[in-house]
Amino acid sequence: MKPDGPIKLVSQLLDLPIVDSDGCYCGIVDDVELTGTPGQLLKVKSLLVGPGTYRERLPNWAFGLVRTVAGDHIARVPWSKVRSIGSTVRLSVPGGTLGLLKSEVRVERFIPHKGAF
Amino acid sequence: MRRRTALVFILLTGCGKSPQSDIQYIKQARSIAAEWALVNEQASAGQITAIYASSMHRWLHDELRTASKSLSQPHSRYGLEIRVLLAEPKDTSPDRLQRHAAQLKQIESHLESA
Amino acid sequence: MNPLELTLGIMTAVGGFVDISELVFAAKAGSTFGFALIWVFAFSTVGIIVFSEMSGRVAAVAKQPVFNLMRHRLGLKLGLVVLAASIISNLITCAAEIGGVALILNYLTGAPYLPMTIAVTLGLIVSIWVLPFKWIERAYGLLGLFMIIFAVALFANHPPWHELASGFVPQVPKGLSTKELLNFGYFAVAIVSAVMFPYEVYFYSSGGIEEGWGPKDILTNRLTSILGMGLGSLLAISILANSAILFGPVNVDPEIPGSVALEAAIPFGKWGLVIALLGMLFAVAGAGVETCLANAYSIAQFFGWQWGRHKKPWEAPRFTLTWIVLFLAALVLVLTGVNVMTLVEFAVLFSILVLPLTYLPLLLLSGDREFMGQYANGSTTRALGWFYFGIVAAAAVAALPLYLLTSGGNG
Repeated sequence: MKPDGPIKLVSQLLDLPIVDSDGCYCGIVDDVELTGTPGQLLKVKSLLVGPGTYRERLPNWAFGLVRTVAGDHIARVPWSKVRSIGSTVRLSVPGGTLGLLKSEVRVERFIPHKGAF
Repeated sequence: MRRRTALVFILLTGCGKSPQSDIQYIKQARSIAAEWALVNEQASAGQITAIYASSMHRWLHDELRTASKSLSQPHSRYGLEIRVLLAEPKDTSPDRLQRHAAQLKQIESHLESA
Repeated sequence: MNPLELTLGIMTAVGGFVDISELVFAAKAGSTFGFALIWVFAFSTVGIIVFSEMSGRVAAVAKQPVFNLMRHRLGLKLGLVVLAASIISNLITCAAEIGGVALILNYLTGAPYLPMTIAVTLGLIVSIWVLPFKWIERAYGLLGLFMIIFAVALFANHPPWHELASGFVPQVPKGLSTKELLNFGYFAVAIVSAVMFPYEVYFYSSGGIEEGWGPKDILTNRLTSILGMGLGSLLAISILANSAILFGPVNVDPEIPGSVALEAAIPFGKWGLVIALLGMLFAVAGAGVETCLANAYSIAQFFGWQWGRHKKPWEAPRFTLTWIVLFLAALVLVLTGVNVMTLVEFAVLFSILVLPLTYLPLLLLSGDREFMGQYANGSTTRALGWFYFGIVAAAAVAALPLYLLTSGGNG
């Protein structure tokens, strides 16, 4: 499906996995940022990724738990970087360039690079 | 109102301490006696390794001790039977252990039909 | 088709059907009710075949595993509830399997239980670290085939074949008291939920993606589901039937896993005992790996992380850290000294709650033509899927009351 046509935000976009141009999973579509003015067509401006988006989607006590464990950062994926939408959202750029793989890189430093086939 | 609630509470906890609530532990003890008998029977016939037999004795004994401690009426006839069973040596004859199992089965059936 | 392709299904099924809980449970079902519960195993096996085939097909066509779909179909809130329940259930099960492996090592070698739980956990971590996914499933799947000794023992124990066959006919034994009827009901519900444990589907669907399945593997998926789950079911039914013949008549309702090994020791002696214990060792170890990886897959997929053991551990760092932490958390649970069989009872109860919420998104997605194209559910699969969904929903409602009324099947 091409990203310039109309889309159903909840059934076709929200909570889909995001895969970057290198084929790496780099998050889930946690929320969507829209742009437009009253009386005009709304357009998707960016996809929001990160635990910070749970503030609007979870009860306060649950979000408090999430923030303690995972923080409250939000990364923005500009709509222009979305190549296609199907069972995943495919990006046209590496996830790292959009700040999507920071935790993965941070944890990798603690994983030994040996002993595995 | 408070007196009535307390009375209901006392009655309920009283109900929880009847021999009926011990049926599951009597069943457990009966089965353990029968399993123990089977292990000793197979050991005398040379069908199992000594390590396995020793390990089974230990774990069955542990389960039996737990069942004995869980009884709400430890000084009852079945409580005494289970304590006698616990005191038996590991290599007790299968026949003797089966007699314990039969005794406990009798008590179990009597309580279930009550 | 390469026969080794079946090892995913074999590992899933052996780890799912004859893990530490099923070993004792199947034996108890046989000693208590004879052959009367065989039909429940057979009936539930059809259900898990239907859902595992669906999950494998979705993995092959949409290249998405179950938990990705879960979040998309259920949304964040409900998805988090399912994730939390699933994590708790799988963690408790994993702890039970680690305890189970240590127990079996104690039966085999006399090695002390608690130190063995630490050694077992380290051994499982090392095996997943070193081996790529294909070799994990082959090692645990093929070594679990030692369990076939129980099917061979069934022949050697000379069962009344006519009576055994009649156990496949749906029935409730006549002349049961109310208490015994409730007990029968509890066993039936617990068998359904244990056979259809969600972790099997999570592991199988993620395993399909680890294997790189595509639409060309639809037939492989179907065969793997049917043959793998069929084998697992055969082993569980063998254990039940052996117990009905050997334990029922002598008042044994197996209380500990070690008693199950007697089913092979009685006809075959020491070598039968050792093979049975080895089979149990690898089946239960495989279940430990399956439950831990199923949890790690669920978490990684739910949050959109890199995942999979088809990658090197450092190529999926958060996933790697997750499964290591989960193994250690399971070990901590075992080291508290809680009884392995108690752990298992809680795991079964928790998983019953998760069952309907696991299978509903899978059922909806696998039938969605927009998503699955020509590979969407046919009318038979759709009908069976909804029928079994109804069954697991009913089991979810009935499980807790039956557990309380029967003291967990102890009457």
